[in-house]
Formats: sequence, structure tokens, C-alpha cells
Amino acid sequence: MVNATKGLFISCDIPMAQFIINFNASLPASQKFIIHVLDNTHLFVQPHMADMLRNAIAEFREQNSYEKPT
Amino acid sequence: MPQVKIIARNFMDMVAALPAMKLDQLYQNAFICEAILRSLPPLAKKYVIQMLYIEEAVTTKSIEEWVLPDGLSKHKVAIDRLLQLRIFSEAFDSSGTSYRLNPTFQTNLQKHITCGGVLPREPMPSSITARLPSLEDLAVFALEQWECFLLQLINSTQAEKMTNISPSMMRIFQRGLLTQRDKEPPRLTESGFQFLLMDTNAQLWYIIREYISNSEERDVDSADLISFLLELSFHATGEAYNMNTLTEVQRNTLKDLADLGLVKLQQGRKESWFIPTKLTTNLSVSLTDSSSRKEGFVVVETNFRIYAYSTSKLHCEILRLFSRIEYQLPNLIVGAITKESLYNAFDNGITAEQIISFLQQNAHPRVSERVPSVPENVTDQIRLWESDLNRVEMTPAHFYDEFPTRDVFEAACDFAREYGGLLWEDSKKMRLVVKTDVHMHMREHLRRQRQ
Repeated sequence: MVNATKGLFISCDIPMAQFIINFNASLPASQKFIIHVLDNTHLFVQPHMADMLRNAIAEFREQNSYEKPT
Repeated sequence: MPQVKIIARNFMDMVAALPAMKLDQLYQNAFICEAILRSLPPLAKKYVIQMLYIEEAVTTKSIEEWVLPDGLSKHKVAIDRLLQLRIFSEAFDSSGTSYRLNPTFQTNLQKHITCGGVLPREPMPSSITARLPSLEDLAVFALEQWECFLLQLINSTQAEKMTNISPSMMRIFQRGLLTQRDKEPPRLTESGFQFLLMDTNAQLWYIIREYISNSEERDVDSADLISFLLELSFHATGEAYNMNTLTEVQRNTLKDLADLGLVKLQQGRKESWFIPTKLTTNLSVSLTDSSSRKEGFVVVETNFRIYAYSTSKLHCEILRLFSRIEYQLPNLIVGAITKESLYNAFDNGITAEQIISFLQQNAHPRVSERVPSVPENVTDQIRLWESDLNRVEMTPAHFYDEFPTRDVFEAACDFAREYGGLLWEDSKKMRLVVKTDVHMHMREHLRRQRQ
């Protein structure tokens, strides 16, 4: 019988996929959200992770920013 | 990111939306007929001129024969436009449909072509209007008023002079551009930012549109207002026209227009007159979507520095939207485009294309001849920074596996593809990812497959 799982499909480039996998590994077991790693650019995760992932990516992006003091 | 664009919505769409009686009333004015003719797409213009002296209806088939087969889509667009504006009226009879030009429109345009346009008023003799401002003074006046209005519109504390526009009018213009939250100063919305980056004609048309749509609430007939505005646009820039040729309503409108910088009001000893500025005459020109080139002032260098040769506070505010202003000198604004300033702009809903087109349209004459006027490394980097914000795409979906046979799997794949919901498949392990909207249909399909 075909099995259906509800979740969020993520499509990105290879570095971002690795970042998300790493982020997943850094969380405690009860909060791990990756259901399947489909291939090296696609992931299937639990449905309500969208905002948390976006915040994590934004934080990662801002680590490289430097604002010259005015 | 949702793309909300302020559509500098075509003035003609607003005209086309008027009820039939008002449109017919409008067409009694020859200038409006000419203005509308100017705004039509080229094929439609050709049709109107061709049908101008034909009294009877022409069948649709013969009109279609005027076009080569690969122009049929443009032909459809032109005919739709003409029908929308009620310039063409359809008639059905035994031999099929035919089109005829609107009779009022036809007679007025014929008169206009043969007799030339005669304005309802003549410029005043120079004996009374002794000191007319020169064209440069007028341009400076118009620019000043317009900038003051824009600064006040975005509620900048930088506006030194307050214009005389009543607060209720300002609120109407600000609707859609600013959001007002309690206890907070009003903030620009996404559309507000896009509005600032549009060129002057588009901004002007937006404001005029708001003004006209609001006119009904002030008991001013919008058709009268539209005809007065279009008539104004045919006056000569820099010539004085007597105010006593205007009705009360038109005089009030003129006062508002003076605050926006469209006309300049002056008073002599006994008479008072108004002088249209370049902004007014641009009203009818810009109907055909051709933008007038004003002097650019921005030089963008390959090291991401911006040098803006301008003294205007408005320009400073606009540049502050997406770049980091470093110095402000008496005739120069120095800034830099940085990743942080661009992220700020993107957060506010401005797109990279808008920033780049603003920089290109306002390029300083010294760099505007160079191709490209904005260095490619700057434009490319702006676009790259924008796409950096969209690296990950997330779609709610369902994951299917454990298919009993390969045929069921293939059938499910094709089914999903037909509905446009197939996101990913793996034929080796027989796994499938489908969009959530299609999930219900997929379930039905799989149930049917089992039987």
C-alpha cells in the first residue's frame, strides 16, 4: 500500500543543502526535522520548519556582514 | 518575495471605465479626441484614421484583411482597445458583425483635423502681463513645487516649506503609499518605495489618477475634471491665460494644481492669470508612454561608489533608500552601494530591477553616452545579492513511497505531471514528491488504482 507523508519540500543549491543537514545534526534528537534527504539538492522535512529554517539561513548570512560605523 | 507593483495605471483605463453617457460627453471636446487618439496603440491609430471619413459600418472580415496573418494578435489588441473606449461600436446584421466609428468622436476629430485645434482661450496680451517668468524660472518653480509636495508626501521632516494642500487631500494621496500605525510615525509601504523610484511622469499620473478618483467625493464631476486636465495639456508652456474664462470648479482645481507645480498663478492689478508649466504639457505627451528625458545626476563607479550632483533633498532621500550616504556637500552627494544597504532596500520591498532602472534613467550626462551607463559589475552584483536572498525554495508537499508495482508508480507520476504538481521523483527506489494541493486528487487516483 502506498505510504503518504506530509511535509515540506526544499529545493536549493548544494552548499545550502549541506547547511540545512548540518543544522539538523546540531539539534537534539527530539527536534530533528529532516524526514528524507532526497538527493544533494533536495530535501524533505517536517512541515512547520519553514520559519525556523529561514531565520537560521538569515543568521548564517549575516555572520559575514560588516557595517562600517557611521 | 511577492512582487507588488504600483501600476502607474494607464489614464486611459480610467477613461475607459467611465459610463457610456459620460464618455460621449467627453468626446464632444475635440482636444480629448486628439489626446485619446495619441494614446492608442499604433495599429488602432491607423484604423481610426482609415475609418475617419467612412460613414457606414465596415465588416469585421474586411478589417481583418488589412492585417497580415502574423499581426493578428496586435489586431485583436487594437480592436479590443477601441471597443473598450467606445470609439468603435459593434453592429450585428445578417452578414455578420461590423464596426463603426462613434459619430460624436468622428465629427469632432474631422473638425479638429480640418480646422486645427482652437483653444477656448487666447494667451493674454503682454501689455497686461508685463513680467512673465522665463521658461527656466517656470521649470525651476515647477520642480520646486513638485519636490516639496513629494517630500511632504513621504512625511519627511526634511520638508522646509509646507505646501497649501489641505491635510485631507494629502491623506488621500498618501493612502496606499504610507501606513499609519498608532503612536508611530507613518512608514512608507512597499508600493510607496516603488512610487519614489518611478520617473516623474509616472508619479504625476498616479497622483492625478488619485485626484480624479477622489473628485466624486468632493462633488466634482470626474468627466469634467478629465476634460479640463486634457484641455490644459494642450496649452502652450509659458503663456499666460486669463482666469476669467474658467468656471468656479476649474478655478478650484487650478489652485490644487498650482500646489503640485503644474501651473503658476499670478495676479495683476485687475486680472489674474495662470501659466502652464512643462509638467502640464507633459500630461498629454506621456499618454503614449514615452518618457521625457530630464537631466540625470547620478554617476555610478565600478568601485560601487555613487556621486550624485544634486542639491535636492528628495534625491538624497531616494538614494538613502538603497545606498549608504557618506557625505553631503553643497552640490554633491557621495554614497556607496553596500550589501547591507541593499538588503535594507530588499527588505522594504524594492526589487533589484527597480534600483538598476532608476540608476540608468538618472545617469549623469557625462556617463549616459557610455554603454552601459551603469557599470556591469555593479548591476550584476546587485542582482546577485538579490538572488542570494532566495537561495532556498520551500513548497508544502507530500511524499509517496512503497508503491506495490512499477506500473502503479508510473501511473502516479503521469497523473501528478498532468496536474502540474510533480516536484521530484526517483524511479529507482519508486519514490514521489507531489504538491499538497494535488494530494487529494492523488489519493482518489490511488484508491481507484487499487480496485
